Amino acid sequence: MAEHDTQSPPASGHASPAEATQPRAPFLHAMEGVRTIYLVTLAAACAPLAAGVILFGWRSLLVAAISVASCVLIEKAYYRSTRTPALLGRSHAAMTGVLLALTLPAFVPWYVPIIAAVFAIVVGKAIFGGVGHFLWQPALLGRLAVAVLLPATMNPTSWPLLAQNRLMVGDITRAQQVDDYRQWRGRPAPAGADAFLLTRPSETLAALTAGETAEYRALAYPDDDSGAGGQLLMRLPPINEMLYGATPGGIGETCAIVIVIAGLYLIYRNYVKWQLPLAFILTAWAVAAVAPIQLTGPADSIRTVWWPLLAEGGDVGFTYVNYQLLSGELLLAAFFMAPEMTSRPVTSGGQVIFGIGCGIIAMLLKLYVHVPIPSYMAVLAMNTLTPAIDAIWRPRVLGQRRISYLKSRLRWR
Amino acid sequence: MNRIAGMLFDRYGTFAGGIDLPDEKRATLGEPIAAARACERLVLPLAPCGGSLARPLVSAGQLVSAGQKLAEGTGDNPIDIYAPAGGRVVSVQAQALTAGKGEFVLSPGIELADLADPTPLLSAPSVTEWAKLSRSNLRAALAGGGLTTFRNPLEPLAGWVERAVRKDCDVLIANVMEGQPYVTAGHRLLAEHGEDVIRGLAIIGRAIGARRLMLAVDRRWTDDYRSLIGPAQAYKVARIALTHKYPTGADPLLVKVLTRRQMPVGAATTDVGAAVVNASACFAAYRWVACGQPATHRVVTVSGERIAKGGNFWTPLGMSCQALAGTDDRLIHGGPMVGLRCPAGAAVGATTDAVLAVAEAPASSSTPCIRCGWCTDLCPSRLNVAALNDDFELSLLDHARRSGTVACIECGICSYVCPARLPLTRRVQELKKAIARGPGATFLDGHGGRR
Repeated sequence: MAEHDTQSPPASGHASPAEATQPRAPFLHAMEGVRTIYLVTLAAACAPLAAGVILFGWRSLLVAAISVASCVLIEKAYYRSTRTPALLGRSHAAMTGVLLALTLPAFVPWYVPIIAAVFAIVVGKAIFGGVGHFLWQPALLGRLAVAVLLPATMNPTSWPLLAQNRLMVGDITRAQQVDDYRQWRGRPAPAGADAFLLTRPSETLAALTAGETAEYRALAYPDDDSGAGGQLLMRLPPINEMLYGATPGGIGETCAIVIVIAGLYLIYRNYVKWQLPLAFILTAWAVAAVAPIQLTGPADSIRTVWWPLLAEGGDVGFTYVNYQLLSGELLLAAFFMAPEMTSRPVTSGGQVIFGIGCGIIAMLLKLYVHVPIPSYMAVLAMNTLTPAIDAIWRPRVLGQRRISYLKSRLRWR
Repeated sequence: MNRIAGMLFDRYGTFAGGIDLPDEKRATLGEPIAAARACERLVLPLAPCGGSLARPLVSAGQLVSAGQKLAEGTGDNPIDIYAPAGGRVVSVQAQALTAGKGEFVLSPGIELADLADPTPLLSAPSVTEWAKLSRSNLRAALAGGGLTTFRNPLEPLAGWVERAVRKDCDVLIANVMEGQPYVTAGHRLLAEHGEDVIRGLAIIGRAIGARRLMLAVDRRWTDDYRSLIGPAQAYKVARIALTHKYPTGADPLLVKVLTRRQMPVGAATTDVGAAVVNASACFAAYRWVACGQPATHRVVTVSGERIAKGGNFWTPLGMSCQALAGTDDRLIHGGPMVGLRCPAGAAVGATTDAVLAVAEAPASSSTPCIRCGWCTDLCPSRLNVAALNDDFELSLLDHARRSGTVACIECGICSYVCPARLPLTRRVQELKKAIARGPGATFLDGHGGRR
């Protein structure tokens, strides 16, 4: 008379009919579904996107629209043509589209987001089996693809930045080189243009740490009348501008404050575990603080500095490390890209390992390899290791003896 | 006063995992225990705990009075069957459908009809000076009266006491946590008859020889338990208010929080020297030992959105769940997190703490796991449920066994939070069953599938 269980376990990963028709305890269910997760993440990602639209003009919106539309359409076309059921595909595809747009610069031609979307959806997601099955963060895979396929378009030597008086309405492709750019605030647009052509801060920092240019001290004391400092600062924005994002870069990469606030919201919603971004950022900070760099000495001599944080005193070192964190895409990677649920480890401990790995690889790539998107590549590299991390990190279950736990930890899977 | 009552309870720590469930207790939290509505028939199983059947002392057609012994227990730990209400014996070979462990079981029983009106729960006068009884006399007394543990796994109280003595339990915990939504039976019993529950706890504690008596209650409702503070101090019962978090009331977690003893995987609480009872068992023990009233009723919460008028009812054992709820529409037996679907004709048994008709979410099909990790984060057993789901889908029994699947306490949190609506709790149960079949057993045994 009991509800005898005669169902056989499902051959596929999805619920067998018996599981769906025979409700069993628990009879209650939390409200939040997968769709909600993706749509709320999408909404949170719209905050850096809005900052990007303000800082980089209407073209950012265009890039985002093309990116989202092509992601959704490609997803739909793929599942229509392969005749497989696209479970939860659309919300995730739309979210991927927004995340992809955040990583792209606003000045790219219209076909770049489309190419990136093809790689993101088809290569990054669909061929693995769709939502819940992919190995690499799809948006980052799309971004990596265009960085490799279109290096000239994606990584020019100088990047445009809208002038303060041309916010939102300006066309970022109408850019001009100016010689006396010191800071963004209060500097009107050059005549006949909407934007300045500038060197990316990460490029300037790379030149600094390779010993090619300028004085290290000038980072913290730009007004020191040493001459060299002025030269460096011609190309490096003040640190407060780095915070609110008035620096050239991807659409959603630059505005640190908005990224952190949106990320904190995701943490509050439990979509991102705080351990992962914290481990990522702290590790990157620590690596930047201790990784040796080469600096130009007084008489153009090049010396190797082993502890950048303490080499010239804490104040200079601190500014240097903060510049390293804020220049480039590290914060966006830490709060939006690395915590993508499917491609990160499941357990908290595994996520800490994952975050530490991301931080180390991102900073080492940035300091010594000079790739265009170091943090994204670090996330992709750690995504590759996710199954391994999930396999080795296993907390002690309730009632398990410590000895048997340690023994089981020594075994691989 | 709220704060003062709260201060008279000790606070303890908590454990990793768990979740604050929506409470849903308001509808019945303040409802005093009332008499159950009149019913036409009662079906009392002859073997409420399984095992050997009791020998009927009555025959069909005989008139019986309330509290009359209907059947004499047999076997190692006999349980006598008493009549909850006066009436006429219809049959001694009826079929009783009561909740066993994990499923409803059909067993022979005694059917009563033409019942007298239901009685409310009244405090009975104490007739025996139980405090003067010796330990062995107390234990002998606990063997009668139809006393059971009133919780899953259901067993005769005397047998349970014997086991606790054999395992040398020094701690006795009365577990009135009731973390599941809707269920308030233990709370009401403690709020209205707290003194008797404390005395019952003292009786069982003396029978076991426990040195420490503990009463674990929910931190939120301590101000309703003011009346038991005096008796608790008199019988040296430590009053402990724990967090509301579900499943603090699960035995392994409660024992871990209160005594810092970790039960080995698959062991019982008595194996680590801690015995756990609930309020109903304490109350029944007191009423039998001190007042001579057999355990024929229990408090049952009737609640849920689809119930017009819920409450807590002093329900005769053997009453049909449908008659108790006043509806026969998709009832749940027990709490909504670990309960069972109530089949037609199911009777209230000693383990029935609630009969619910909740507004269930429409059954939706599940989607692939997106590895959000919520199940793993909230698992009180600290299992990697997402990985176990992979093991289930890929039939990796050996890996599931090495991941410690048997430590699952089946609290239902993973299924509750899963945004992909995967029946995770059930899948882990399947894994546990398959593992219990022994090493080398294939997952699809009996289903003709692949390994």
